[in-house]
Amino acid sequence: MRRTDALRLVAALGAIEMALVRRDDVAGPLLAQAARAAAATPVDTWVAEAARLMRAPGCFGDAPHEMARRSAVQALCRASAQGAQAALLTGTE
Amino acid sequence: MRVFGESASRLAEAGIDPAALAEIEDAVARSGGLPDGPRADVHAHLGRDRDGHALAAEDLVGDMDRWGFGLAAVFALNDAGARGDFAEANALVRASAARCAPRLVPFCRVDPNAGWASAIDRAESGGARGLKLHPVAQRFAPDADAVIECVGRATAIGWPVLIHAGFGARALAAPLAHLADAVPGACLILAHGARGDARAVRDALAGHPGVWFDTSLAVLADLVELPPERLVFGSDRPYGDYATGLQLVGCAARIAGWSPSQIEAVMYGNFATLVGA
Repeated sequence: MRRTDALRLVAALGAIEMALVRRDDVAGPLLAQAARAAAATPVDTWVAEAARLMRAPGCFGDAPHEMARRSAVQALCRASAQGAQAALLTGTE
Repeated sequence: MRVFGESASRLAEAGIDPAALAEIEDAVARSGGLPDGPRADVHAHLGRDRDGHALAAEDLVGDMDRWGFGLAAVFALNDAGARGDFAEANALVRASAARCAPRLVPFCRVDPNAGWASAIDRAESGGARGLKLHPVAQRFAPDADAVIECVGRATAIGWPVLIHAGFGARALAAPLAHLADAVPGACLILAHGARGDARAVRDALAGHPGVWFDTSLAVLADLVELPPERLVFGSDRPYGDYATGLQLVGCAARIAGWSPSQIEAVMYGNFATLVGA
């Protein structure tokens, strides 16, 4: 992963993490944007899946299945962020 | 089947294909590259939180089985009850641990400002082996007199003390250093790699003989800079999950160049030292 791509993703996914915790609707557009930024990187599948799951209605509800969906999105975002952070720390080009 | 700590049926109800998500989950965990070996988790919650998160002991054990964890330290979510002393939540944790013995090791969660002494007494006689404190949720300063007294009692009976050191507004380094110095012999496990004040805490406390750090929902850059001899794997279930927790620790091990014995210490040995095997 290029360091510029990794840096872009780390910044975006940090904002998305907080938006998801706060159940802020901005998480959806931010994730769609992050998915484009992640294209052709090692974490593209994970970010794309998180963005796809976010597009379904009810991601911020309190029903058990809605919380499960949000939890899956958060896990995918966490995995993607950690992958991008690792690329930054190792200076992978 | 459970994926990222959620049941397959619930994911399916949400319109998610559990099998496809499980393939991604496997890839996430594998990307860390951790070797097989004994694994223990020092940070997992049971019960129901005021924020809606919940986890049952049998579901946690199912997650542990999938990812090769033999032991987990478990404590209450933020559910202090009517009296604020976590009596019911702690009792549920102890009963759950007894039901799943010896896989789950019960810790006692207390509010240092609400009936902590009797809570510790009940927990000790009920088999608890550690203390959990959350300064943000229970709104106390880590260096308050009541906290020092409470940690002193836990230390006197040989318990490690796991303290939330993640999200929160307060600076942590000076209060935690004061607490560590005020209770000689205390074993303080700072949760989340002390990400709430990571640089200052690392500078002040990474070499303190009584201070440890758990890896749950920590920041990779922080884990890379902490000594593996002081790190203990944690998941923060149900907020965290095992796959991303393993990815995180695996990345830290690779980047920091931990030896196989250092990896074993983070994944199991340090837990055994602090909590018991």
